[in-house]
Amino acid sequence: MTAPTSSSTYRSWADTPNTGPIAWSVVIPTYNESERVVPTIGAIAAHLSSLGSPWELIVADDGSTDDTVEVLNALGLANLQVLVAEQNGGKGSAVRRGVLAAQGDVILFADADQSTPIEQFASLLSCIEGGADVAIGSRAAAGAHVSNKSMARKVFSKGLNLLVRFGFGVHHADTQCGFKMFTTTAGRQLFQRQLIDQFSFDLEILYLAKKFGMRVDEVPVEWIDAPGSTVDPAKVAVEFLKDMAVIRWNDLRGRYRRDNR
Amino acid sequence: MNIETQHHDNDSAGLVLSGRFDAFETDAFRATIDPLLASESTAKVRVTMADVNFIDSSGLAELVRSMKRAREAGGDIELHNPSDPVRVILELTRLDLAFTITSAE
Repeated sequence: MTAPTSSSTYRSWADTPNTGPIAWSVVIPTYNESERVVPTIGAIAAHLSSLGSPWELIVADDGSTDDTVEVLNALGLANLQVLVAEQNGGKGSAVRRGVLAAQGDVILFADADQSTPIEQFASLLSCIEGGADVAIGSRAAAGAHVSNKSMARKVFSKGLNLLVRFGFGVHHADTQCGFKMFTTTAGRQLFQRQLIDQFSFDLEILYLAKKFGMRVDEVPVEWIDAPGSTVDPAKVAVEFLKDMAVIRWNDLRGRYRRDNR
Repeated sequence: MNIETQHHDNDSAGLVLSGRFDAFETDAFRATIDPLLASESTAKVRVTMADVNFIDSSGLAELVRSMKRAREAGGDIELHNPSDPVRVILELTRLDLAFTITSAE
């Protein structure tokens, strides 16, 4: 015997395209994620559909060389938009394309591995509804719960955070968690000016949010390290240092001015 | 993930899973279910998934492996009361067509 496949709210979201205003957009960047992304989409779709507001899902692929795009298109979900890139441009470029294509009043960017469970959505949303322009998931804020994180990644994260705090003036305990929420206005302002396409785009976004006087709330989240992470700490650390200098240089040259775009 | 073993009637057994079923949990799951599948007295294993909030591709692969092993021995595993996210994940991966899925009576 086969039981009913899912709740009616999910069924409706999966089968019927949104026609009215969209409350929430979820943006997932992918690069060769054909194995990991479908369970993540399932978890997100089941949870958000149950909350009762119209929402859309945008997967911004970053030039995958596996069959990620084919797998996504084969899902046949009415409110899933797949953005395809001809070439790999970096996670930052994928998230930017997704955020700028989003139509929701609130935009969540979430990693493809469900390392921050979608059940944390409400915590960030309550900050946005309380007046924050940006709400960021944090693995380092008091109350966060982190599982399976390797010692190497812990040391790496701590080191980056010290650099960011003392070398950059961005005083969040965790700038790199792949779970961030924006009002549409804030998201567009930030991502239209974002110039970093690689791993450190999060840092640039938070630097810009501070520069523009936006309210950024840091929310402790549950985070479970997902096996198969493609992050190479040594390579990323070098890129991060370089990008910190690039961000400063861009600012000095006036490339982040609000009237610049 | 928490795994609880239950013994039902003569030819069936059950596992009750809760939490997140991902690659970190497959060894523990295998270590629990394989002895049940190997037992001549167990034809069917019911895996209750009402409190599983996420299953990744490794967890799905482990369920498929277990199902194949059970069917090769003339038995089956039955996914019982999967939570909404697990139901949707099974549907999106088309595995709902491969497994026997049951709901609470």
